[in-house]
Amino acid sequence: MSNSTTNIASQENGLLQQDRFIVRPDDRILVTGAAGFIGARVLQNLLNRGLRNLVCFVRPSSELSEIEAIIEHRPPDARIELRKGNLLSREDCEAASKDAAVIYHLAAGTGEKSFPDAFLNSVVATRNLIEASLRFGSLRRFLLVSSFAVYSNCDKPNANILDETCPVEEHPELRGDAYSFAKVRQEQLVTEYGKKAGMPYVLVRPGSVYGGIKSDITGRVGISAFGPFLHLGGSNTIPFTYVDNCAEAIVLAGLVKGVDGEAFNVVDDDLPSSRKFLRLYKKSAKNFRSIYVPHAMSYALCYLWEKYSKWSERQLPPAFTRKRWHSEWKKTRYSNQKLKAKLGWMPKVSTAEGLRRYIEACARDRRYA
Amino acid sequence: MLKVAIVGCGKIADLHALQIQRIKDCEIVGICDREPLMTKQLSDRFPVKRCFTELPELLDQARPDVVHVTTPAESHFDIARFCLEQGCHVYVEKPFTLYADQAELLINLAERKSLKLTVGHNDQFTHVARRMRALVQSGYLGGTPVHIESYYSYDLGDPSYARALLGDKNHWVRRLPGKLLQNVISHGIARIAEFLTTDSPQVIAHGFVSSLLKQINESEIVDELRVIISEETGTTAYFTFSSQIRPPLHQLRLYGPKNGLIVDQDHEILIKQRGQKFKSYADMFIPPAQFAKQHLGNLLTNVRLFLGRDFHMDSGMKYLIESFYGSVRDGAAVPIPYREILLTARLMDTIFEQLTVNKSQNLRPAALSPLRAD
Repeated sequence: MSNSTTNIASQENGLLQQDRFIVRPDDRILVTGAAGFIGARVLQNLLNRGLRNLVCFVRPSSELSEIEAIIEHRPPDARIELRKGNLLSREDCEAASKDAAVIYHLAAGTGEKSFPDAFLNSVVATRNLIEASLRFGSLRRFLLVSSFAVYSNCDKPNANILDETCPVEEHPELRGDAYSFAKVRQEQLVTEYGKKAGMPYVLVRPGSVYGGIKSDITGRVGISAFGPFLHLGGSNTIPFTYVDNCAEAIVLAGLVKGVDGEAFNVVDDDLPSSRKFLRLYKKSAKNFRSIYVPHAMSYALCYLWEKYSKWSERQLPPAFTRKRWHSEWKKTRYSNQKLKAKLGWMPKVSTAEGLRRYIEACARDRRYA
Repeated sequence: MLKVAIVGCGKIADLHALQIQRIKDCEIVGICDREPLMTKQLSDRFPVKRCFTELPELLDQARPDVVHVTTPAESHFDIARFCLEQGCHVYVEKPFTLYADQAELLINLAERKSLKLTVGHNDQFTHVARRMRALVQSGYLGGTPVHIESYYSYDLGDPSYARALLGDKNHWVRRLPGKLLQNVISHGIARIAEFLTTDSPQVIAHGFVSSLLKQINESEIVDELRVIISEETGTTAYFTFSSQIRPPLHQLRLYGPKNGLIVDQDHEILIKQRGQKFKSYADMFIPPAQFAKQHLGNLLTNVRLFLGRDFHMDSGMKYLIESFYGSVRDGAAVPIPYREILLTARLMDTIFEQLTVNKSQNLRPAALSPLRAD
């Protein structure tokens, strides 16, 4: 199908769904972190839905080839503004969020081990963006892309099913993970603005997003920090969501009417176990030695590490704690029922197909490495 | 109980708070940052009594004895001066100040007000650095160092800092007179300054942008630096800063008239190098065995320290803070002599001046001009 045919079909699709959405095609929509792994897909999804007035906010250091390709092939009537800046600058935030009807806030401090850095790039940046956008009075929804990392995964109301009713970590500072600390505080900040300033918001919490060129294995499967790969997931279900499916969920959560103040978990259907995934990865992408660590043992090791860290006044940092074990390695099942029921989301790429694409990309990546 | 405050709640403040809470008889009575969210995140994770967004309020209401200045370098001087004027002892993170005259002013002010002042050159107080210092003080080198070599590497691949710096043309580090170098080389320069005996040694500096940075169109950030320092007394020193050499080195080599010492900070290894030679083939068999014994000794020392819960990654910082607090409490000498702080600042000033002049005139230092094949 040619680009123009796709665009017409997409426009019709968007127009058909307008009664479900809080925006019109020409309303201004801001996407932060637009050059990121998920951001570029969100941008393409918005275009496919017929939205025609988009602002992409990216860091000056961002790799822009993917986003530039999207801009180049955009529909002729679509306007995409590419803004480089820093969300720690209030001026940059004001310029980007001016007249925005919906803000998709995907930008975050990722991969940072330092608590202050993760906090600064997630929480302070989010505060700046919210304050700037509220000045214009045009905001109809602030969508925050959060993470499963906010859940404590303890005291779940429905046995071992993790869904949106499960409690969020009350003491993220004790988990020893800068990212989850920043994400919990970021959600709290957005919720506070919702209550105090009446800001309409939606929280989206993706599980482990995979696909594209992102070829690293999620820590929920295991870690290689100590040399050999320690397989910690075992028979656990891994809460995968293929990047395109995740982008679709994010876009819908920003557009669909009547979901303000809600949180949505994003996981695909037919999720594989950690063992099945690892077997597939080793068979088709890259073979390596892994050592299975049973759940009881990984819990005991986390407990001992946590105790030693405290006893030794952090001679070893509290990187492995019981809170982290509950969050990442406890046997858990996942639900996407709310996402389907309230947003009408369905995974467009099946897990089998997503994994096939992912494994192929990993194998290719390895070949060219 | 010593009352301590921290000004600036970024990444380095975490390390300070962590070490302060490990030290007996002190408490963090207040923290201050212009960004209230940043004070909140620090107080969420550490026992902190009060949070402030204004320095005068912190000093007035929390009344700290000691203030740790952990803000970006460009504000060190103003904050430290204000704290000293208000009667507080001050620990300033490195680099101490932007210019040597500012360092001099702070030191004079501290002395005039009988207050203590130090800088965060904590690398000089790691276990291995302290063992080295004890050996030097015992006369192992056989006199004043004849030659010193200091290596300091910086990995630009570190995602949390370098990428932010390289990608952001407005990053605060770019506004420093010495840019990236100013923020990181003071550790390596201070190691040399400790063993220099005169106040104005000769300096020849050569800096350039690595090929790696040139590939990504970076032309401002000098990430390769070579410095030759020489004193009238005969002591010479080489300083090497590099983002490209592998393995990354953080080393000090001291050569005296009798023996030498090598301090490998990355692996916490101290190696004694005997000046005396063995006869004939014995010089090829006995020294390797002696080196093997020394390496084994270093291993056992490190294991012993680890098992004794005294081998933290930032052990040097704890020792420095503890020593500084000791000097505040009982009036003992400060852990880093003011002369050393000042000399480090002067050496850095001279290096940055030469780099600026060389860059503006597109010159290479005379001593490094290419040789002509006549």
